[in-house]
Amino acid sequence: MADPVRLLIVDDNKDILSTFYEFFNSMGYEVKTAVDGFAALKLLREKNHDFDCLITDLVMPNISGVGLISIVKKEYPDLKIIAMTGYGDQPGALASEARADVVLFKPVDLFKIEEKITGLLDNGNQKKQE
Amino acid sequence: MTTTPFIGVSKSLLKIKELINHVANTCLNVLITGETGVGKEVVAQNLYEESPRTAHNFVKINCAALPETLLESELYGYEKGAFTGAHKKRSGKFQAAHKGVLFLDEIGDMPLSLQSKMLHVLQSGEFSPLGSDQDFKTDVWVIAATNHDLEQRIKQKQFREDLFYRLNIIKIDIPPLRERKEDIPALVEYYYRLYKSEYPNNQGSKPDADTMTRLCNYPWPGNVRQLQNCIKKQMVLNSWEKIFDEMPSEENHGIVSQTPPRSQFDPGGNNNVHPDFANDQTSLISQFVDLSTSSDKLFQDISLKKIKKKASDRVEKEVIAFVLDKVGWNRSRAAKILKVSYKTLLYKMTEFEIDPPSK
Repeated sequence: MADPVRLLIVDDNKDILSTFYEFFNSMGYEVKTAVDGFAALKLLREKNHDFDCLITDLVMPNISGVGLISIVKKEYPDLKIIAMTGYGDQPGALASEARADVVLFKPVDLFKIEEKITGLLDNGNQKKQE
Repeated sequence: MTTTPFIGVSKSLLKIKELINHVANTCLNVLITGETGVGKEVVAQNLYEESPRTAHNFVKINCAALPETLLESELYGYEKGAFTGAHKKRSGKFQAAHKGVLFLDEIGDMPLSLQSKMLHVLQSGEFSPLGSDQDFKTDVWVIAATNHDLEQRIKQKQFREDLFYRLNIIKIDIPPLRERKEDIPALVEYYYRLYKSEYPNNQGSKPDADTMTRLCNYPWPGNVRQLQNCIKKQMVLNSWEKIFDEMPSEENHGIVSQTPPRSQFDPGGNNNVHPDFANDQTSLISQFVDLSTSSDKLFQDISLKKIKKKASDRVEKEVIAFVLDKVGWNRSRAAKILKVSYKTLLYKMTEFEIDPPSK
C-alpha cells in the first residue's frame, strides 16, 4: 500500500484548523497542523518533516502565510503549496508573487481543496517520471 | 554600530528572540510594532546583526521627523537642479542601504503620497532620485516600525492597505514593559552596568529590594527608554526617592500601587500578613506563635530555635518564589542567583511547596 499523503495545514483560526484536520484525516491523509507561519516553519525545520503539501492561510501573526510560502519555496522547493485567504485581493496577489501553486479565496470548499491536492501531486509525479 | 542586546527573560521576549533567529537570514520585509520606547529599533538592529547583510549598512530614517518633500529627497536622493537649492547631486538612503538594511521608523506617519512611491519601489526593486529620469536597481532589506495600529489607519484611509500587506510579511509585536515585568530586573542591571562603565566616578547606588519592587510595579508608560533614563539619572542624582518623585504618577495610568511580593509571588497564601507588621511587635510575633492561647501554653511553645527556623523558612520561601518568578521559573538560573546548588533549590521548592503558576 502506498504511503499516505502528508499535509501541513496552517491557520490562526483554531476552528478552521480542526475542521481541516478532521476532514483530511478522515480522507486518509497524514495531517499535522500549526497555528501560524512561525510554528509551521519550526515544525518543518526542527523535525525535518517530509511533507507533500502545505495548505496555509495568509494573514497570520509572526510569520504570515506569504512569508512562510517565500521561505518554503526556497528551502523546500518540492513542497506543493495551496494558499487560502479571506482578506481580499492583496494577500492573494502577494501569495502568487511568492509562487504559491494554488491561491483560493475563503470560504473554501474542502472537496475542492482535496481535488487541488490530488491534481498538484499527480502533476508532480508525472514530472518526476518524465 | 554597536548593537544593543535585546535584554529580558519574559516568555514574549524569548519568543521574539527565537523569531529573529528564524527569519534574519530570509531578508523578508518585517513590520515591528509596539508602544514608544519598547525597543523596536533594537529588534531591527538585532535582525540586521544576525542577517547575511552585516558587511553593508544599517540605515535608519524617521518618517515622522521630516516634512514630506524633505523625506522624499532623503529617501531617494536628488539630481543637481532637481529643485531650488539642489546645487549638487545627493544620494539618498536607498542608495546608502544598498545590500544592507533600510530601517523605516514611524512608517505609520509617512504621508500617503510617499507611501505610493514606497510601494512602487518595494514592488519593482527600482527607484529614481528626484529630478532624474534614470531608474536605479535597489537591493535593500526593508524593516519598518510603527507605534500606530496600522489596520486602524487603513480604515481611516491614512495608510495604504497594499503597502501594509507588503511590509507585514513578518510581524514582530513587542509588548509594553508593564506586561513583562519580569524583564525589569535584568534591564536595570544592564543599564546600571552600562552607565557605571560610562561614568565610573558617579556614585549612584543600585536599587535595593524594596526599590526594585517599586520599579517592577511601576507601569512604565515610556517603556524601556523611560527605565533607561531613570537609571541614567540615578547615576547623577543618587536618590531613588527623587527619581520616583519625578516619574509620572502611577495612578495616572490606572494602575493601583500594590505590595507585589504578596500579590504576585506568595505561593503559600499568607494573606493575613500586613505589610506594616514590622512596626507592630505583637503582630510580628503572632505570625510564628499562636498568641491566642494561655500564657502557660504560649511560653511552652516559644523557643528561639523553633522561631528562628520558622522565620527563616518563611523568608526563604518568599525569596525563592520571588527569584523564580523573576527568571521565568528557570530553576538553574534561580539556583545560580541564590548561590545554592540546583539540587538544594529543588529540595527547598518541594519542602516549601513552591509550584510554578498554572496558566
